[in-house]
Amino acid sequence: MRIGDAKQSYEADEAILTSSTQKIWFALFLFALLLFPFLADAYLLYLGCLVGIAVISTTGLNILTGFTGLISLGQAGFMGVGGFTVAWLSANTALPFPVTLLFAGLLAAAVGILVGLPSLRVKGLYLAIATLAASVFLHFIFAEWESVTGGMGGLSLEPAHLFGLTFQSDFGMYFIIVPLAVLMVLAARNVFRTRIGRAFIAIRDRDISAEILGINLLHYKLMSFALSSFYAGVAGGLFAYFFRVVTPESFPLSMSIFYLAAVIVGGMGNLLGGILGAAFMTLIPEALKLLTAALTPFYPNAPIFMSPMLEIIFGALIVGFLIFEPHGLAEIWHRIRRFFSLWPFKN
Amino acid sequence: MDWLFFGEISLAGLAMGGLYALIGLGFVIIYKATRVINFAIGEIMMFAAYLFLAFAGGMEMSPWVALPLAVLGGSLLGGVIEKVMIRPMLGESSISVVMVTIGIASILVGVVEMIWGADPQLLPSFLPRKPVFIGEMYLAPKIAYGFLIGAALLIIYLLYFRFSRGGVALRATASDQAAAYSMGINVRRVFNLAWVFGSLAASLAGVLVAATGGLSPQFGAIGLSVLVVVIVGGLDSIVGALIAGVFIGWLETVAGAYLGGEYRMPATFAVLAVILIFRPYGLFGTHDIERV
Amino acid sequence: MFKRILSKGRRFAGIGTIAASLVAAAPAMAQDKDPIVFGGSIPLSGVFAFAGVHIHAGLTDYTNWINSEGGINGHPVKYVMEDTGYEVDRSVAAFKKITGSNTVPVYYGDSTGFMKTIASELNSRGTTLMSGASFATALTDNEQYPYQFIPGPSYSQMFGIILEYIATQGKDGDMPTVAFVYSDTEFGKDPVENGKAKAAEMGIKVVEEIVTKPGSVDVSAEILKLRRVRPDFVVFHGYVLSPINEFMVQMRQMGLDTQFMGTFWSSDKLIINKMGADADGYMGVMPYNYYDSAEGGPMLDTLRAEAEKSDPDAGYRPTGYMQGWFNAMVWTEVIKRTMDAGKELTAENMAESLASIKDWDTGGIIGIPVTVQDMSFPVGRIWRVNAKEARYEPVSDWIHLD
Repeated sequence: MRIGDAKQSYEADEAILTSSTQKIWFALFLFALLLFPFLADAYLLYLGCLVGIAVISTTGLNILTGFTGLISLGQAGFMGVGGFTVAWLSANTALPFPVTLLFAGLLAAAVGILVGLPSLRVKGLYLAIATLAASVFLHFIFAEWESVTGGMGGLSLEPAHLFGLTFQSDFGMYFIIVPLAVLMVLAARNVFRTRIGRAFIAIRDRDISAEILGINLLHYKLMSFALSSFYAGVAGGLFAYFFRVVTPESFPLSMSIFYLAAVIVGGMGNLLGGILGAAFMTLIPEALKLLTAALTPFYPNAPIFMSPMLEIIFGALIVGFLIFEPHGLAEIWHRIRRFFSLWPFKN
Repeated sequence: MDWLFFGEISLAGLAMGGLYALIGLGFVIIYKATRVINFAIGEIMMFAAYLFLAFAGGMEMSPWVALPLAVLGGSLLGGVIEKVMIRPMLGESSISVVMVTIGIASILVGVVEMIWGADPQLLPSFLPRKPVFIGEMYLAPKIAYGFLIGAALLIIYLLYFRFSRGGVALRATASDQAAAYSMGINVRRVFNLAWVFGSLAASLAGVLVAATGGLSPQFGAIGLSVLVVVIVGGLDSIVGALIAGVFIGWLETVAGAYLGGEYRMPATFAVLAVILIFRPYGLFGTHDIERV
Repeated sequence: MFKRILSKGRRFAGIGTIAASLVAAAPAMAQDKDPIVFGGSIPLSGVFAFAGVHIHAGLTDYTNWINSEGGINGHPVKYVMEDTGYEVDRSVAAFKKITGSNTVPVYYGDSTGFMKTIASELNSRGTTLMSGASFATALTDNEQYPYQFIPGPSYSQMFGIILEYIATQGKDGDMPTVAFVYSDTEFGKDPVENGKAKAAEMGIKVVEEIVTKPGSVDVSAEILKLRRVRPDFVVFHGYVLSPINEFMVQMRQMGLDTQFMGTFWSSDKLIINKMGADADGYMGVMPYNYYDSAEGGPMLDTLRAEAEKSDPDAGYRPTGYMQGWFNAMVWTEVIKRTMDAGKELTAENMAESLASIKDWDTGGIIGIPVTVQDMSFPVGRIWRVNAKEARYEPVSDWIHLD
C-alpha cells in the first residue's frame, strides 16, 4: 500500500506518528489549533470549545463502545457526575480547575465502575439497558439531592481559576479545553499501544475467546468503564466551567444518544473517527442554519420547514453511516488519504 | 391505609399495564423473529397516533374507521422500516442494529414535526365518557375501554400465534432460522411479517395511550417504560411481556401515587436493575448458551 | 489583550457571519442614524416551537411598526434572530453569532436555561439587556442577574396573583382549598415553594401537591388522589396542554366542581382549540390583554392593525405574539429613556432606565399602568374560558402585586 513504509524495529511499528510527513502535518495541526483562537470570532471560538468538549466525551465513549464493544447509554449521566462535582467543588472549596477536573473524572470513573458491574453477567443490549437505568437514577439524584446539586434549578459556578488566573471568557476556556482534548486523545492513543488497550479490543472481538486467552473479563471491562467515564467526567466538568451553570436538564438522555451517534458517524473503534464524529455532529446544526439562512430569501418559511430537518438528518446520518459506511468518517478520511498517497500510480 | 384508594390506584395501574403488555408484545414479536431490539417502537406508536389524528381529526372520518386505518398505517410503516433499513443490517452486530433503530426514531420525530408541527395535540375523543365503577371502585372510562380494546387484540394475537400457520412459522423461525428455512418456511417473509405484526400491536396501543395522555413529538419517550417491561419479562418471552407489562404498569402508577411523580421512572428502573443482577435474562427469557 | 491586537485580522469572522443572520426587517425609511439591533434566540423548532413562531411574528411586526413610526429617536430598528431548537447550547451559539457581528443593546432569550447560562457573559459584557420567554423566579435576583428582566410577573408572582384571586372566592368566610399540579422540570418546580409560602401566609390550605412528567402521561392515579382531597381550586404549572385536559375531563366526570387554573404558558388559546367544550370554565393568569379581548387602547389597536397587515389570514394571535410584542415595547421604552437621559446604551444604564419605569401606560397591552419591581412587571389578571365564544374573558380586576 503505502510506499517506503517498512518498519525496522518494534518501536517504530508502535510509534504514533510513523513518518516525517505525519509529524509535519501533526505539528501544523497543533499550530493551527494554537492560532485558531486569535483569528476566530466569538462565535467560531465558542463552537471550537464546544467541539473540544465533545471530542473528549466522544473519545471516552469510543473507548467503551468502539474498542471494548460495550454499548452505553449513560454517557450524559457520567458527564453530569463530572459537571456537578466541579460545580460543587467550586462552590465549596477554592481548588483550582486541574484538581476539580481530576476529581470530576475520578468520581465519574467510580460511578462508571458501579454501573459496569453488571457487565460481567449481562452484555450487549442488556448492558445498554443497564446503563440506561443508571442514567435514569443519576438524573433522579441530580434532581432530588438538593443540598448538593441544587435540585432542579441546578448550580451556578465561578469561573475556572489557577494560580490567581481566572478563565472567564471563551478565549481563556479554549486554552483549557483544547490542550486537554489533545492530551486526552493522545493518552487514549497510548492506551491502545499497551496490554490494556489490546485486551479491550480482544474483548470486543469475542469476549469468550479473550477470556480463554487469559484476559480477566471483569477486570478489563470495569477498567474500560472507568476509563470511559473518566473522560466523560472531565468533559462534564469542562462543560460546567464553560457554561457556568449545570442543571439536571443539562444532561438529558438525548445527549447520550448524541455521543453514540458521534462515535458511529465518526467510526467505531477509531480515535480519529471519534474526533471527526464529534466535530461533525456538533457543527451540523450550525451548518444547517447557514443553509436555512441562504434559503430564507427565496422561501420565507424556510426556518420553520428546515428545523425538523435537523432531526431527520441526525437520524439519517446514523442509519446511513451504519448501512453504507460502517467504518464512518474515519474510513472516508483514509480513502482520501489513500488516493493522494497512491496518486499517480493508481490509474 | 385506605384500601379503596389503593384498589382504585391499582386498577388504574393494571389497566395501563394492559397497554404496556400490548406494546411489550409487539416488541417481543419483533425481537423473537429478528433479534432486533426496536428502540423506535415509541415513535412507531406516535406515528400511528398522528395518523389517527389526521384521519379522525383532519379528515373527520368516524373514529371507528380511522382507528383501523391508523393501525394499518403504523404496521405498514413497520414493514417498510424492516425492508429498507433493518434488512441491510442483517448479520451486523446488535449494537449497530440498535443504533439504526435509534436513528429511525429520530427520523420519525422529524417527519412528524414536519407534517403535523410541534404543537401538542389531543386526539378526538372516541371512547365513552361515562365513569366506570367496578364495585365501589372508580375507573377512568378512557383507560377502562382502552384496556378492553387492547386486551381483545392481545387475545387474538395469542390465539393466532398458538394455532395459525403464520404463528407456527414465526415460532419456528425464532427457535432456529436455518432449520425453519430448510423446512420451507420463507424466513425473510417471516422477518417482515414480524415487524408488521409487532408494529400493529404497538400502533393500536399508541392510539389508545395518546387518547388518554395527549400527543406530541416527544410521545416516543414512552418507549423507555416499554424497554423496562420487556427486559423484566425477558426479551423473547411473550408470557413475560404480558406479566411484566401489567406489573410495571401497576408499579409505576402506585409509585407515582404514593411517592410522587418523580418516583415513577426510578421505581420501575429499580426493578429493572434488580432483575438484571439476579436474572439477567428476565423473568421468563431464554438463557442463551454461548459457544466460541 | 493579545487577542484584541490580533482581532483586527479576524479572517474567519466572515465565515461565521456570512448569511448568518436572518434580517427580518429592513429600515422602512432612509435614516442616517445607526440602527438599533434587537437580537433574539428564537425557538422556531423543538418543544417550544408552538410559541416560538408567534414570538417571532410579534417581534417582527413590532419592528416593522416602530420603523414606520421613525424608529427609536430616529434610529431605525433591525431585528436579527436565529433558530435555537430550544436547546441551550444552540441558543448560546446564536447569541455569540449575533452579538459578534452586531452591537446588540437588547436580546430575546428563549429559555430559563439559556438565560441562566448566558448570565455570566452578559454581566461581564455589560452591553446588553435581556428578556425573553422565561418568567423564572430566579431571574428576579438582581445580584446574580442584573441585566435580565421579566416581561410580566415571575412564575411566583403569577401564583401570587392566582392566590389573591382564590382568596376572594371563599364561601361563607371559609378560605378555599387549593392543590398544585406541576411538571417534574425546572420550569414546573419554579414557583412551588414560593407559592406554598404565600398560600400559608394568606391562610389558604394547600391540600395536595402533584408532580407529573410533562406531556403525555396517564394521570388517572393522580386524579384519584385529588378526588380524595376535593380541592376547590387546582393550579397547573409547567404544562402547555396535556395533562391539564385529562385532569379537567376526568375530575368533572367524577362530579367534582373544582375550578382549574393555570399560569402564563398554560393559558393560551391552544387549550380552547384542542379541548373544545371541555375547556369551559378554565382560568388563566395573563399579564397582557388577549388579542381578541374586548379591551382597547392605542397600542393594542396598533398591535391588532399591524398583525392584520402582516398576515391577514392569521386571525387570532396567541399569547406568544403578545409576549414578543410587549418585550419589544419594553426594550423601546428603555432605550428611549436611556437616550433621552443622554446616556450611553450600556446594560447598566438600561437596567436603571428599566427600574425607573413607574406607572407606565402600555397603551392597553396591560390594562393598568405598571411599575417595575425587581426587574419584573408584577401585574396580571384572571381570565376565564368561555368555550362557546372560544375565548378568554376577564373575571377579575387587574391585580398589581406590591
